[in-house]
Amino acid sequence: MAEHRPDRNEDRHEFSEEQASLFRITFGPLIWALHFLACYGLVAVACAKGADIAMVRILLLLGSVVALGGIGWVGYGAFRQWNVVETGDFVHRRGHAEDRHHFLGHAAFLLSIISAIGVIFVSLPLVMIGGCQ
Amino acid sequence: MTRSSGLPQPEGPYPPTEEMLAEPVPRDLQRDQAERLRRVWATPKGLRYVTAVNNSEVGKWYCLTALVFMLLAGVMALIIRLQLALPENDLVSADRFNQLFTMHGSAMMFLFAVPMFEAVSILLLPGMLGARDMPFPRLSAFGYWCFLIGGVFVIGSIFFDVAPRAGWFMYPPLATEDEGPGSDIWLLGLSFIEVASIAAAVELIVGTLKCRPPGMRINLMPLYAWYVLVVGGMILFAFPPLIAGDFLFELERSFDWPFFDPTRGGDPMLWQHLFWIFGHPEVYIIFLPSIAIAAMVIPTVARRPIYGYSWIVLSAVGTGFLSFGLWVHHMFTTGLPSISLGFFSAASEAVVIPTGIQIFAFLATLMVGRVKMTLPMLWISGALAIFTMGGLTGVMLALAPFDFQAHDTYFIVAHLHYTLFGGMVFPVIAGVYYFFPFIQKKLLSERLGKWSFWLTFSGFNLCFLPMHLTGLWGMPRRVYTYPSGLGWDWLNLISTVGAFVIAAGFLLFVWDLIRPKHRQPQIPRNPWEAGTLEWSHDIPEEAWGVRSIPHVTSRYPLWDQPEMVARIDAGRYYLPDAEEGRRETLITSVIDAEPVQVQRVTGPTWITLWAAAFTGGAFIFPTFHWYPPAIVCAVLAIGCIIGWLWTSTARPPEADSKDVGLGLRLPTYAAGPASVGWWAMWITMLGDATAFASLVFGFFFYWTASADFPPDGAAHPLALLTLLASLGFVLSWALTIGARRLNRSGRRGAARGCLVLAPLAAAGAATALVASVLHLDPTSHVYPAILWALAIWIAVHAGAGILMQLYCLAGSVFGKLTPRHDADIWNVSLFWHFVTIAALVTCAVLGLMPGAL
Repeated sequence: MAEHRPDRNEDRHEFSEEQASLFRITFGPLIWALHFLACYGLVAVACAKGADIAMVRILLLLGSVVALGGIGWVGYGAFRQWNVVETGDFVHRRGHAEDRHHFLGHAAFLLSIISAIGVIFVSLPLVMIGGCQ
Repeated sequence: MTRSSGLPQPEGPYPPTEEMLAEPVPRDLQRDQAERLRRVWATPKGLRYVTAVNNSEVGKWYCLTALVFMLLAGVMALIIRLQLALPENDLVSADRFNQLFTMHGSAMMFLFAVPMFEAVSILLLPGMLGARDMPFPRLSAFGYWCFLIGGVFVIGSIFFDVAPRAGWFMYPPLATEDEGPGSDIWLLGLSFIEVASIAAAVELIVGTLKCRPPGMRINLMPLYAWYVLVVGGMILFAFPPLIAGDFLFELERSFDWPFFDPTRGGDPMLWQHLFWIFGHPEVYIIFLPSIAIAAMVIPTVARRPIYGYSWIVLSAVGTGFLSFGLWVHHMFTTGLPSISLGFFSAASEAVVIPTGIQIFAFLATLMVGRVKMTLPMLWISGALAIFTMGGLTGVMLALAPFDFQAHDTYFIVAHLHYTLFGGMVFPVIAGVYYFFPFIQKKLLSERLGKWSFWLTFSGFNLCFLPMHLTGLWGMPRRVYTYPSGLGWDWLNLISTVGAFVIAAGFLLFVWDLIRPKHRQPQIPRNPWEAGTLEWSHDIPEEAWGVRSIPHVTSRYPLWDQPEMVARIDAGRYYLPDAEEGRRETLITSVIDAEPVQVQRVTGPTWITLWAAAFTGGAFIFPTFHWYPPAIVCAVLAIGCIIGWLWTSTARPPEADSKDVGLGLRLPTYAAGPASVGWWAMWITMLGDATAFASLVFGFFFYWTASADFPPDGAAHPLALLTLLASLGFVLSWALTIGARRLNRSGRRGAARGCLVLAPLAAAGAATALVASVLHLDPTSHVYPAILWALAIWIAVHAGAGILMQLYCLAGSVFGKLTPRHDADIWNVSLFWHFVTIAALVTCAVLGLMPGAL
C-alpha cells in the first residue's frame, strides 16, 4: 500500500512526533534503572556507614511503590497510544504514520510491563532479606 | 532562538505516487547514470586497495581479521586442552598456561566477539537500509586499522612470552603488581581497541537513525537494525567504565598512584565493579547482534513475516536495560551485603524474561510458517539448543547460594561457553552461510556446511557438557594441572577430545570459506527468497551499494513491493546519478525516514591509515615506558585527524540543493541537530560522559568503602582556584555559544573575537584546575590520586575543546565556516556543553567535597 498525499497532511497534525518519541519507549526501563540504582546505592552506603537498614528498607519499598506507579502511568499512556481496543492491530506492518504511532505505543507498553516485573523482582530482597550480613 | 541559516528546505512531491514510479527511465540515461556511479564508487586497485573506505571492503577486512584472531585464540584453547588432557601433564609451564588462558579469553572477547558485531554490521547494515554507505566511511576505516594494529600488538605478545597473564579480567593486585609488560599490553592495547569499538558504535547508531531509505519508518526497520541500535547504545554505556578503569589502572602501573592498593587507601574492588559494569553488558553486546542474525534468517526460512515484531523489539530494548543490573553476579563471593546480592540475583533472573520472549517469538514464527530447512537454519537450530542450555545454567548461577558453590569452578567455564557458543558463535556462522551470497556473490557448500555443523555441534557438547560435572566435582578454573585420583581424569580427557572435534568442524568451515570459487556459476540474486532490502544487491558485484535508493512501505519490501527491484535497477528511485562526481547518500528523518538531505560521504584515502598508525604509536609506546615517541605520535595523530576533517568534512557545497530524482530537491548541507555530524558528536559525548561518571563514581566509592576517606589531616585542593576554574570554564562555554550565534547572524568579526577569547579562558581554567591540586602528592594516598585523575581528565578535555575552538576560528578566517555553513561550530558547542558540565562537577567535587564529607 503506497501512501497518498492527503492522508499524510492530515496525519501530520494527529500523529506528528519528534525525536523524543523514540526515547519515550525507554521511559519504563529508565524508571526501573533509577529504582535499581537507588536500591543498590542506598543499601551500599547504609551498610558501609552503619545506618539503620530497617529504615532504608522501608524507604526503598516506598520507592518501589512510586516506581511502579510511574511505570503504570507510562504504561497506561502507551496503551492508549497503541489504541488496540479500537484498531485491533497487533502487527503494525504498514507504512502509515498511524502504524508507527501505534507501534511505538505497543513497544512502550510491553516495555513498561517488563519494567514493572523488574521492579517487583528487585524489590523482593528488600522484603525477604533482613540485613547487611 | 537561533536564527535560520537560510539554507533551503526539501522541495517537491513526497511520497512518490505510483504513476511517478511507473514512468520508465530512458535506456541511454540509465546507462550514463550507471557509468557515472560506477566511476565514483570504484574500489581502488593495486596497492591503493588498502585506501578503500567503502563499507563492503572495510567490513570484509574487519570480518577476516576477527576470524584470524578467533582462530589464533582457538589454537590457544587447544593447547590449554592438551595440557589438561592428562593429570600432572607438563606440556606447557604454569606461566605459559597463565598467558594462554588470559589471551584466550581476552582475544575471544575483545578481538573476536565485539569486533565481529561491528564488522558484520558495517558490512550488512547499509545493504539492509538501502544506503550507499555508512555516514562516516573514513571513521569505519580508521576504526578498522586501529583494531588491526591493536589486535596484532596484543595477540603478538604471546609469541614473545610477555603476554598478559592475570586472567582476562585483570584483577588487581595480581595484575597491578605483575612484573613485565603483560598487564600494560593488555591495558593499552585493549583501550585502543575500545576506542575503535566506540567509533563503530557511533557510526552504526547514526547510520541506523539517519540513513534509512525514505518511507522506512521506525516500525518498518529490519529487526537487525533494532538490535544494532540497542547494542550501539549499550556500547556507549558499557565500554566507558572500562576505559575509566583502564585510565586509573595505567596511572597505578606507570606512576604508582594507589587506586587499587589498600595499603594507601585504594580498593581492588573498584576495579571489579568497573570491569563488570562493562563485562556483563558486554555479554549481551555479543549476544544480541548474533541473535539479530537469527531474526533475519528465521522469517526467510519460515517464508512469512516475523511473528511478534513488537515483542522482539521489547525483548531487545528490555534486555539492553536489564543487562546493566547484573554485574555483581560476577562478584557474589566478594562479601557484599546480602541484600545487595539479592538485587543483582533478582535482576539476573528478570533478564531471562525478555531473552526468553525473543526465542519464543522465533519458535512461533517457525511454527506458523512453511519452513524450508536450509543450512543457515541448521546452525540457528544448534544455536537455540545450546544457548537454551547455557541460559538454564545461568538461571542456576544467578542464585547466589548456588554460585557460592560453583564459583571459579569448571561449571562456570561450561556455562559461559554454552552461552557464548550458542549465543554468538553458532548464529554468526549461520549468518556467514546466509549472507555469503550477499557478501561474496558466491555460495558456500551445502555438504561441507553440514559436516562442519555436526562436527562442531557434537564436538562442542562432548567438550563442554562433561565440564559441568568436572566443575561440580570441584575442579577449579585456571589451574595448569591437577593430581590424579580426584575423578577428573577421564572427564578432562573427554573434553580434550571434544575440543579437537570442534577444531575439525572449524577447519572445514574455514576451508569452505577460503577455497577458490571462481568456477562456480553466477548465483541467483536472492538465493533464499528473502524479503529484506539487502537481497536487491547487484550480481555481478557493484561497489555503489544500491543503484537507486528505494521508497519503502513495508517490512519485507521484496515480498510486498514486487516491482521494487526492477525500479531500483532502472534508477527510478532516489539518487540514481552522481553528476558532480562525488559520493553521496540520502539522509532521512529519525522516526519517519522522510528525506531531508543529501550527504556527501568521503572516499578512498591514506589519511586514515596514517591516523591509525600514529594513534597506535601513542598507545603502544607507553607500554614500554617510551614516552617521548608516544607524545610525538599523539601529536601526529591529532594532526592527521585535523587534516582529514578540514579537507573533507562539512565543506560548503557548490550548490545549496540538488535534484535527487522523482521531482524532489534536497539541501546538500546541514548543521546542528539536522546533521549527521552533530548526532555523532552527541553520541560520542554520551559515552564520554559515562566514562567521566565512572571516575566520579570512583570518588564516592572510596568514600563509601573506607572509613578514612579523605584521611584525617589530608591536604585539600585550593578552593579558590577551583572556583576560578569553574568561572573560566563557564566563560569559555558562553563565548563558544556566543560565537555560534554571532556567526549565524552574520557578525563574523565578533564571532572570531569570541573564538579568540574562548580558548584563552579555557586554558586559564584548566591551568587553575591543575594548580588547585598541584601541591597534593598523588602517590601518597588514593584521595589526592583520584583528585588528580579528575583534574587531568578535565584538563585533557579542555585541551581538545581548545583545539576545536581554534579549528572553528581557522574555519571562519579561511571561509570553511560561514554564517550559512556552520556545522563545525554547532558540533563544537555541543562538545562544550558536555565538557562544561563535567568541569563544573569536578570543580564541585574538588572544591566542596572536602567540607561536605
